[in-house]
Amino acid sequence: MTELQAEQGVQALEVPHEAKTRRNRDALIALAVFVVLALLPTVFSSKLLLDFVIRCAAYGLFATSLNLLVGYTGLISFGHGMFFGLGAYGFGLMMQKTGVPVPVAFVATLGITFAVALVIGAICVRLKEIYFAFVTLAFQMLIHSTILSWVSLTGGDQGLRGGIPRPPFLGIDLSNQLHLYVASCALLVIGLFLMHQIAQSPFGYTLRMIRDNATRASFIGIDVWRAKLTIFVLAALFASTGGIIMALFVSGAYPEFAYWTISGEGIFINMLGGVTTFLGPMVGTVLLLILNDTVTRLTDYHGLVLGIVILFFAIGLRKGLMDFVVEWYAQRRSGGGERG
Amino acid sequence: MDLDALTGCLASSACLVTQTTSGFIIGMLLFLVAVGLTLIFGVLKVVNFSHGAFYMFGAYFAMTAYQFSGSFALAMLCGAAGTAILGLIFERIFMSRVYGADVLMQLLVCYAFVLIFDDVVRMIWGPEFKSMGMPAAFQVAPLFIAGGVVPPYYLLLIGVALAAAMILGLGLARTRIGKVIRAAAHNPGMVSALGINTGLIYGGVFALGGMLAGLAGALAAPVRSLTPGMGFSVLIESFIVTVIGGMGSILGALIGALLIGLIRSFGSLGFPLFTEGLMYLFMVIVLVSRPTGLFGKEVA
Amino acid sequence: MTRTRKPGVSRRATLAMMGAGAVSFATPWVARAQAKTIKVGMPTILSGRVAQLGTSSRNGVMLEVEKVNAAGGLAGRQIEMVIRDSKGQPQEAARVARELVNTDGCEILIDAEASSGAFAVHEVARDLGVLCLHTNSETSALTADPKQHIPNAFRTARQGVHDSIVGGSYAATIAKAKGLKKWATCSPDYAYGRDTTAEYVTYLKRFAPDIEIISESWPKLFQPDYTEVVTKILQAKPQALYSCLWGGDLTSYIDQANIYALFSQMEVFAVNMADYTALTVVKNLPKGIHSGNRYIKTYPATPENAAWGDAYKAKYNEYPTNWSWENATAIMLLAEASKKANSADGKKIAEALRGLKIKSPFGADGTVTMRAEDQTLVGYAIGWGTTIPQEPYVPQVQAGDWKTIFELEAEWKKSKGYT
Repeated sequence: MTELQAEQGVQALEVPHEAKTRRNRDALIALAVFVVLALLPTVFSSKLLLDFVIRCAAYGLFATSLNLLVGYTGLISFGHGMFFGLGAYGFGLMMQKTGVPVPVAFVATLGITFAVALVIGAICVRLKEIYFAFVTLAFQMLIHSTILSWVSLTGGDQGLRGGIPRPPFLGIDLSNQLHLYVASCALLVIGLFLMHQIAQSPFGYTLRMIRDNATRASFIGIDVWRAKLTIFVLAALFASTGGIIMALFVSGAYPEFAYWTISGEGIFINMLGGVTTFLGPMVGTVLLLILNDTVTRLTDYHGLVLGIVILFFAIGLRKGLMDFVVEWYAQRRSGGGERG
Repeated sequence: MDLDALTGCLASSACLVTQTTSGFIIGMLLFLVAVGLTLIFGVLKVVNFSHGAFYMFGAYFAMTAYQFSGSFALAMLCGAAGTAILGLIFERIFMSRVYGADVLMQLLVCYAFVLIFDDVVRMIWGPEFKSMGMPAAFQVAPLFIAGGVVPPYYLLLIGVALAAAMILGLGLARTRIGKVIRAAAHNPGMVSALGINTGLIYGGVFALGGMLAGLAGALAAPVRSLTPGMGFSVLIESFIVTVIGGMGSILGALIGALLIGLIRSFGSLGFPLFTEGLMYLFMVIVLVSRPTGLFGKEVA
Repeated sequence: MTRTRKPGVSRRATLAMMGAGAVSFATPWVARAQAKTIKVGMPTILSGRVAQLGTSSRNGVMLEVEKVNAAGGLAGRQIEMVIRDSKGQPQEAARVARELVNTDGCEILIDAEASSGAFAVHEVARDLGVLCLHTNSETSALTADPKQHIPNAFRTARQGVHDSIVGGSYAATIAKAKGLKKWATCSPDYAYGRDTTAEYVTYLKRFAPDIEIISESWPKLFQPDYTEVVTKILQAKPQALYSCLWGGDLTSYIDQANIYALFSQMEVFAVNMADYTALTVVKNLPKGIHSGNRYIKTYPATPENAAWGDAYKAKYNEYPTNWSWENATAIMLLAEASKKANSADGKKIAEALRGLKIKSPFGADGTVTMRAEDQTLVGYAIGWGTTIPQEPYVPQVQAGDWKTIFELEAEWKKSKGYT
């Protein structure tokens, strides 16, 4: 799998115009997906579907950005959820306290995330493997404790109360569920498109090289620390966007958003969908949310059911669904390509 | 912040003794859970995320045994033995299938069992919280040592935990089984080439780790309320302990547990609203300055 | 190692799963007006450490729903409860609440969430305009803060500030009689714990001005070990201790403080002690802990209350909790309001609910009232007494005076800038 990707990478490096056509094709696909999603409400009138897609956008951006770290760079972060929480709180607070227009708050939140991720990342990415996981987890818990303790700003355990005001801008009114739905779809599609570009860029192949052999990468003159930090910060920005969507969806921000369980869920989604394909985490998101929503409807013992399903994936399949599908497909075609 | 209270306490021997023992009590129970975690990691290279569940089962087993027999000793025995068996079964049937797989896969199996075990406990014992009650033998007035207050039950608790630490340490260093376990931690291939059944060792280590966590749960049952999910916060804290002490190091687990205990007991005086945060801050500082923890060895 | 591959199985399973999801999406919008039954959605916590909150809330609701249905339902429509677990996560609470209304066609929400979950459901109610009864959140701000106010949300639970006024005045009397000047507090570090404690101290000082707080402890919610907190309080040597720990945290605390003989060294005021969940669980309950009533079948000492407690016990084989009566009250109020409005329509019921006074086993004078101005429950039984380790657990309860409560509450609201 990885060799195959590396081969493609060499191609991408050597033939720039091919990369350009690929980008154009990706952009077209992204546009088509967006149009389909945006037209969905005209076919199905179910509000549940809209809610579901909004949540998919929030978790999907979060999980896919985590995969940039886990799958592409080999950085297993247990604390990625802190940026999800940071996005939710940053955006919610900005809207509640300052009353700036939504786009300004959006950009400013990403700015804050950028700064925080830069500082935390600079400390964390020096560490390797499981220790990187631990230190990110520790930072996550530190941020969570801070949110709980800093009651005057964050509202402590009760979160940001009273709803998040969202004055209409450019004719978009995010308090209207349909508008929120379309905006979430747009953010999701743009986010996925950008992340795919990152993954397919020369920089993306540098990351894969670091994952497979960091020593070799540094021998050929790659600044490993800088590359890891860059992807850490970029991933944080997308996770933060996911948090913003979630804050808009529930009209508030709660400490649970910054708790380690969110990071755990992100990892779980990645494992469920598979980390070797770009769209694996997205598939995982849809799977987990459907699973969660149906199981909680049916039984109080959803932990039991969810646990057994996880065991099925971990012990039965031993890989994520997309990994499995791709491998199976490749076996049938004896060497088919990887495509989302 | 309330630094006056902290400095005031440091100046009084009564307060110093009481808070230090209170740090030890918190620390020793944590140690029992953490040492299993660190042992399993050291030998099997698995971060046993479901370790808190063994603590929980230990407490529930002990409570049930105590209700039926009224014997404290039997309750402790049931808590420890029951979880040892559970650990063995868990390792042989499930964990053994994911050795050599991705770290994340192993975590996922453990995570699945956190969910499953919590629901199983809820099915068997019900969702409401329970209390085992303090055995009559320990319902006595606390002792006064240098002006500080120490309850007899906690002396027993510290004693048991210290004994467990000594037996473990000596057992690993001196006995044949201990040597085999340490060898298996370094080079499992070599050990199995020598004709030793590594599966047995792995299962044994898991059972031992489970037993220690179960014992901690059993010891805690008379003073802590029992609910499904009770293992969770204990897991997180013992996780911090092992990371600070160094994954795989028993001495590290002991020192880490005591440090966390002391941070809690003195931190609650000086920083009553940020005690939890202090622990994480400490963990960050240790990890950044010494990624492998205070007593951990660099893993190749 | 050998790997087992069963693509067929997995694909089938996956397709089945997708199918289940698709079905739930495709469910057509339930035509509301024609529906015979009326669905009432109830997000609550049924798993994890506070699962008891959910189960005893559910029991309280079901006990009453059966009675209402037997008597013909809400304006002729049988109530169908749809109860779902939020796992104690606010985002799940919000999602479940939306799903209950948007997909399951629930026309009324009973929000049996605690803490932040209640605020999350409140936002859903604000967004969807559905009638919503908060049954478990006792945080004063939920109804007292005008910023939170929406016409379609009501609270049928206690309110922290009421408890604190009664508790403060009760404690002040005892403090004066026994000369308790030095006080310590020990409460869980979250909004309910902090607000309730602050309010309690305010009223304690108001009724007994020479009191001094010499030590504060803030253990985390669900903290397993309180040793450092217990010893810290012992160090401070207060004459009295106030705590609003509850449930399993309170019983842990009592067990751990007991072996330090804390209860023989100071008077203890624990507002959440006199609830069967804590009373029946603690094995060595110290005598003489002062507590506010939560639910106890001997107070109010009326045949109605005793009968309700016994009926609950007979049905579920356990005693009701504080959450049980709060949720039962929601259904009682709904039934009366629907009768008054002669309709099951949410808006009309909301209109009828405002200012509605109903007969209730839990009322201080046999009635409870849904106060119109801030849509929260008043007039419920509220009082303090001391515990004994066996039934009836709290033999004598000193009733709180609602006239004083109203006066001081109004003052408190003003000081908070709420009016």
